[in-house]
This record gives sequence, structure tokens and C-alpha cells, in this order.
Amino acid sequence: MSSSNEARKDNLLVGLAGQQNAGKSTTFNMLTGANQHIANYPGVTVDKKTGFYRYKDVRVETVDLPGTYSLTSFSLEERVARDFLLTEQPDVIVNVLDSSSLKRSLYFTLQVLEMDFPIAVALNMMDVAKRNGTHVDVEKLSHRLGVDVIPTVGRRGKGKNELRDAIIATANRKEHNVLRVTYEELEPEVAALEEELGKTKMQGKYPLRWMAVKLIEGDSEAQRIVREELGENSAAQTKANEIRDKFEEDHYMDVADFMLGCRDRLATDIVESCVTEEKEGRDTITDMIDNIVLNRFAAPFFLVATVFVIYQLAIVQGYELTNYWWPYLAKVRSFIADLLPAAGLLEDPYVRSMGLWMVDSANGLLNYIPIFVILFSLIAILEDSGYMARIAFILDKLFHSFGLHGQSTLPYILGGVFAGGCAVPGVMATKGIPDERSRMATILTVPYMNCLAKIPFYTLLINVFFVEYKSWAMLFLSTFTIFAALLISKLLTSTVLKTMETAPFVMELPKYHPPTLFGVGQRAVERTWQYIKKVGSIVVAVSVCVFTLLQFPGLPAEKMAEFEGRMDQALVTFQTKIKKSSYAGQFGDVQSVVNLLNLYHDYKNDKMSIRGKEASLALNDKYKAEYPGMYMFLKPGADKDAKVVNRALRKLSSSRKSLRREMKEVRISNSFLGMVGRSLEPVTQWAGFNWKINVAIMSSFAARESSVATIGVLYQQGADENKSLEERVGSESGEGGFTPLHALAVMIFFALYPPCLATTIMIKVQTGSYKWMTFSILFPTALGFLAASVVYTGGSAANLSGIQMMGIFYGFTVLLTIALGLFNSWRKDPEPLPDFSGRVTE
Amino acid sequence: MKKITVVLALAALLAFAGQAFAHTPLVSCFDNGDNTITCEGGFSDGSSAAGVKMYVKDGNGKTILKGAMSEDSEYEFNKPAGAYMVIFDAGEGHQIEVNGADIVE
Repeated sequence: MSSSNEARKDNLLVGLAGQQNAGKSTTFNMLTGANQHIANYPGVTVDKKTGFYRYKDVRVETVDLPGTYSLTSFSLEERVARDFLLTEQPDVIVNVLDSSSLKRSLYFTLQVLEMDFPIAVALNMMDVAKRNGTHVDVEKLSHRLGVDVIPTVGRRGKGKNELRDAIIATANRKEHNVLRVTYEELEPEVAALEEELGKTKMQGKYPLRWMAVKLIEGDSEAQRIVREELGENSAAQTKANEIRDKFEEDHYMDVADFMLGCRDRLATDIVESCVTEEKEGRDTITDMIDNIVLNRFAAPFFLVATVFVIYQLAIVQGYELTNYWWPYLAKVRSFIADLLPAAGLLEDPYVRSMGLWMVDSANGLLNYIPIFVILFSLIAILEDSGYMARIAFILDKLFHSFGLHGQSTLPYILGGVFAGGCAVPGVMATKGIPDERSRMATILTVPYMNCLAKIPFYTLLINVFFVEYKSWAMLFLSTFTIFAALLISKLLTSTVLKTMETAPFVMELPKYHPPTLFGVGQRAVERTWQYIKKVGSIVVAVSVCVFTLLQFPGLPAEKMAEFEGRMDQALVTFQTKIKKSSYAGQFGDVQSVVNLLNLYHDYKNDKMSIRGKEASLALNDKYKAEYPGMYMFLKPGADKDAKVVNRALRKLSSSRKSLRREMKEVRISNSFLGMVGRSLEPVTQWAGFNWKINVAIMSSFAARESSVATIGVLYQQGADENKSLEERVGSESGEGGFTPLHALAVMIFFALYPPCLATTIMIKVQTGSYKWMTFSILFPTALGFLAASVVYTGGSAANLSGIQMMGIFYGFTVLLTIALGLFNSWRKDPEPLPDFSGRVTE
Repeated sequence: MKKITVVLALAALLAFAGQAFAHTPLVSCFDNGDNTITCEGGFSDGSSAAGVKMYVKDGNGKTILKGAMSEDSEYEFNKPAGAYMVIFDAGEGHQIEVNGADIVE
């Protein structure tokens, strides 16, 4: 450490930067232990992890930057990492390199060096390098880069104190003689532009050489910065444009490619001078595994097996765990219910209704937690092991044609490609997709997959209207959604998502390395915790809106009077029945009856959360102790007079429950949502929907329990018009009846319609935007309606049967998908970036 | 006519039961003390269990009763003599079994 007259800094801000899979998060954990905090970077949904530690009287705040390949404007993570560097001006950048893939890592290092920040290098994964026979001359590397280089093995905490020492030394070093990338023929122009920038107010505020390089490269973010700082048409921007135009005119080469080549050659030279490989000719572990995993014929099977395991563990086993998890959520609900005003006879106080609605909405989402913990653990294992990059590699060519990414595979599988899935974990799993446009396209199309809740509805309609073609109909629905998702992704990425940042697929396959338990577990917990926090805030906003739409204006006065009359009748019956009981005197007024009803209701609710004999007996003891004067009416035992009350109570409770259900159905029908459903009838008739179906569709989205009403509505069709079931089923174009063509239109609509409120809430969580959440509701609804209308109206006009129209629609969808896929592969591919996956040579 | 009704009923049952997959199925049973048992069902997100298939089997595993949850998600039956098991069939791989011995008075 060099001597200094300045006081040593005792508070440091450190940015941890590096490529994905270099072990950056593991290094972060090594430096900071468990003392960490997670937020979002401003304005984006990228996680910002901050940790603290104290070492030799220095307090160090460490920020884990997103893993990136470079600092261009290609992806959200890259811009976030670079914006942090520019705005926060950290004291030290710790660049984590993967010593077993040094050249690939150095590509990023050279860009960070160019930004003039004090840098220390953590040469990580030295154990993997050693095992592969790769030897890095640390001292020589340090000399060539001009910075401290500390060998580390993050997983085992090796190099921890040395790295901390290097951080302090780097922060206090007065002069930094770091390696500079030379841009060969362009070097004079870079120097000239740097000088030009030096005359502006950007001097001292930005690293000017880096800015000059970026402007000449045509980097959009750099251009934006210059516009903001110096205005439109500044001298610097003009000069940069001239330099680029002239170079490309003289050399017939894109400037960005040329500069990339300069860095590449420099990285190659450094590796050649600092790295030696032993055991030449012998496959490394990674190569051995890849010979199988990436084998042209074996790759698909290995991929399918991996995805199948994830599906089985996360979805199938996760659901098993919800059986044990749910009782805790139910206890929370009971606790909150006790805090709210007591239930009324037929209607609850508004505060209670709203409160319980919100709790139910939140619980519905929180019930997924066991699934998420498992899912995120498995994803973290894939990421840390290096196989995730290979999944992207295998599938990217196919998906790229439709604007998707290789890593879109997992979200689709979880959403339900073939077997029933669930869009909520599917959307959640898009977090790892590095390309923002692809990620958005995936988020917006995962809901089209066949979630578990959709399948029984399809089954019902198929069994009623397509019995003879059952297999074909199920095949249609199972696979139609895949083609629909690909087509819609293509549509979205060509239109509303067109301006989003996209990135060329970089063919870099990291070495395999074992995930750490701490790293995997921590990430799973972090992501699940993020989910829980966001559910808490979003559910409040959405539940209030939906609740209002469903509750108001409420029941018409005459309807309410009718229900009250029936309830009064039930009360009279109750009073009559208990008259002979010696306890009759206790229930002379309505309020005491309401109290009894509510107690009975609470008891049954608590019973729903437990299992087994011991738990039941314990619950009984609890109620006996808390309500000694009322318990005998819940459990009369040998008390005959109590038994009379109990029997009457059960009947009364049943009546109340039925009336409440009927009231709810009428309330929804008369609600604002119901009014919208009716007013849409002139439009929806083209899809064969009447107002009843409209209301059922809208309410089944907002309140899933109303999905029963959807089926009830469909059953009512024939009954209302006095048509026998036989006549209806036998007729393919019955006038006024519900025909197979109707059924097909409804199924297509439901295939494209948002599966549930939870999914749209999850889309909000992932996009950080209510705008996209709204889009994810309106666009699929409009598209579903359009498709249903084409099918129903077109089919009717052409006098086609349901099964015929199904075949035509399916054929059209499949052919269009194939045509679009092939079309893109015919287009000339842009020049690929240099391949860094080759082995380092001596 | 009868055949179609059966198909519709089975389809409806299957459809209702399938609703369970998207959330956790719930059921509890009470001995009413008058030789009847009432079972109440539901799902974790508040969805109705109406239509979910219900079976009661005797000690030998033979099905002695078949039915479905009512519109109010309840199913009542006479208590069988001897050992019995109540099955709430919310779809393949997602049944809940309640042992008669666990249904306490």
C-alpha cells in the first residue's frame, strides 16, 4: 500500500461487477455475509442487492451489480450496471472474473477499465481452473491490467481478507496506471473527440475517453447523455458521427464491430501471456458433459427430462405442500375475521366484506409460496450450474423467429404446455431472461398456456358437444395454445414491443460448476420474499377496484325484500322448532340467533383447517372452554334439548348459506361489471355470446368461485327454451340453442382470455407496471373475442359444423406459425459476434 | 336421454373437480350426533366446491355411497355402521380422504 498524506477513507462504496456465472453473487456473499438488503434500482425491476461489512475500521457498503456481458445498451441489466457506475461513482469496482474462462471475463473488464474507476480484480473459481489444468499467472495478470488481482474461491471463502485488503488499498491509491485499450486506426479520432469533450461541461463529470469511444460506436445511451448535457446537434455528437461515417466509408466495416475486434485481440493477447493450459488434448469436465448434453440428438431428450423434473418437483410436489401450508393462511384469515365487525344475518358490514375479500385475494396468491420456493431453488440451481445457458443455446434458434428467447422454455412449461400448469409461476419464472423484449413477450404470452383451471372447463364442453371427436378436440386445445403463443409473441414483438431493447444472442457457454447451498437457498428465499411483499401492496389496490365493481350498485330493493322475506321465514321455522326445547328462551331475539349462527360458522371454518382425530378433539375442547354457554348447541352430545336446537341450527345455517349464495349471484349480475356485460351484448353476439355468458365470463375472471355460474349459464340455455338435451346435442345448428359452434367459440375465447386475476397481478409484479397489467387484460380479451367472432360468425355463414370449423381454424393457425417461422430463417442472419466458447489455446 | 344426462353429470363433476387443481382443496366432516354426517368442502382461494365428487367406502374398501357436493359445498349422508372412509375427489392425484374414526361426535 502506498503511503499517503491524505486521511484514509473510512467509508467506502464498492460496486461488484462481472459477467453472469463468474461467481459474483457468491463473492458478494463471501464479502458481506448475511448483512444484506434488497431493493430495486430506480425506475426498473432489476434487483439491487446491498451489503455491508466492517474491516480494519473501514465501513464498506457493497452493491451487487447485475451480471452483464458488457456495458452497452443492449439489455436492461447492462444499462442498470452502467448507470450505477456513472451516477453513484463508487470508490472501488470489484470485477469478478471466472478464471476458468478468463478471456470471456476479460471482455467485460476492459470496458470497466475504460471508465476510469479504481478497480480491483477478484479472480474467482480458481478451484475450477486448477481442476481443468488452467494456470493463471496472477502477478503477470495484475501487471498487465495495472490493478490488484486477488485469486478467490467464493464458494469456500478463499481470498476473502486478501480481497478486502485490496479494496482498501485500491480506494486509497492516488494514481492508477491501468491498461488502456488501443483502437488502432481509430486511436487519433478517439483522442480528438476526447479532447473536444474536455472543453465541455462534461469534463470531470464523466469518463471522457469512455464517452468518446461510446459515441463513436454509436451507443444509444451515450448519445442520450450527450444530448441531455450538451443539447441536440452538439459539436461532439456531430464529430462522432463524422468519424463513424468516414471510417465505415474507408474500411467497409461497422465501427462497433471494429472496436469489438480491438478488445477481442487485446483480451486474447493477455490470456496468451498469462494463462497456460496443462493436459493438452484431454477433455475438461465441461466438455465431457457437453458432448452429451449438447449432442444434436441427445440434447432434446436431456432438455425435456430436465424440464419434466422441474415441473414434477415445483408444480406437482409443490401443490402437495400447499395442503400443509394452507392451514396457516386460514389461521391468519380467522384472526383478521375476529378483528373485523361481526357478520350480519344476511349481509355483512362493508368493512368486513371488503376486508375478507382482500384477505382471500392475498391468501389465494400466498398459497403458491411452497411452489415458488421449490421453483426458485431449481432455477437457481440451473443458473449456477451453467445449464441454463445451454437451454438458451439449444432453443434460441427456434424461439428467436418469434421474438422469444431460449430461456422462454421454462416459463412456458410451467404455464402448461401440455399437462396443466399455472401461469402464476410461469410468469414469475421469466425473471431470468436477459433480453428485455423477449422477456416481455414471454410474460404476455405465458397466460395462453393451458393452466389447470382451464382444462376441466374444456372437458365439460367437449364431453357435451364434441363427444364423437373427443380426442381431436383435446388435441386441438392442448396444442392450439402453443401456436397461439408463438404467433402472438411475433405480433407483439413486431408492434408494441418493437422499440424495446433487444440483444444479439451471445454464444458463450460457461463452465459447469456446482451450485452452493447458501447461494441457491438465499436466492430462493429472496425471490419468494419479493413476491410476498409485492402481493401485499398490489392486492390492496386491485382487490378494492374489483370488489367495488362487483358490489355496487347492489341488490335492487324488491329483490332484497324477497330475500329478507325468505330469511324471516327461515327464522320463524327455527323459532318454531326450538319452542319445545328448554333453551328456547335464550334465542328470543334475532341478535342472539345471529351470534349463534356466527359461532357455528366460525367453528366449521376452523374445522376446515385441521385434520385428524386429535386435532378435532383439541378444537372441540377449545370451543368448549371459550364458549361454555353455547358449546352444547354445536355439540349437543346426550343433551336432548340442546340437540333440538342443534338440528334447527343446522337447517337455519343451511338456509342462510343458500340465500347468501343466491344474493351474491344476483348482486354480481346487477353490478357494474354485470352492466358492462349486458352493454357488450350487441358486440359479443358476433361470437355467439349473450349477456349471461358475458356476465359469467367477467365474474369468473374477477371471482373464481363464479366460474360455476359460467357452467350454470350454459346449462340454462336449453332449459330456458324448452329444448331437450337430446335435441340440442343432436343438432349442429339448432336455432337459438347452444351449438357445438357456440362451444368452440367459447373454448377459443377462454383459451386466449386471461386465466385469472392472480396471473395479471403477477404480470404487474414482473413488469413493474400497471400499464402492462392492463394491457395483459384488455389485449387478450379483445383477441379472444375477435377469434371467437371469426369462428362463430364465419362458421355460421359458411354453414359449417363445430368440428369442421375447429379443423379449419387449427389448420390456419398451424400453417401461419410454420410459415412465419420459416420466413425468418430465410432472411439473412446478421454477422454473429465472435465466439468466445472455444478453448483457450497456448 | 338418460345416457346423455349421465354424460352431462359426469362432465360436470369432472369440470367442478378439476377446478381444484389451481388451488388447495379443503374438506371437513362433522358427526351431527343424530346418525348423520355432514361434510363441507371448499378451496383455498374461496372457490366453491359444488359438484365435487364424494364417495363413502366401508372398512373393506367397497364404495357404499356416491354423491357430490351441493351448490352450497355440503354433502350429508347417514353414518354407516362400522368403519368407513369419506373421499373428497377433487381430481386425479388430488383426493382428500377422511377416516371415519377421525370424525368425532
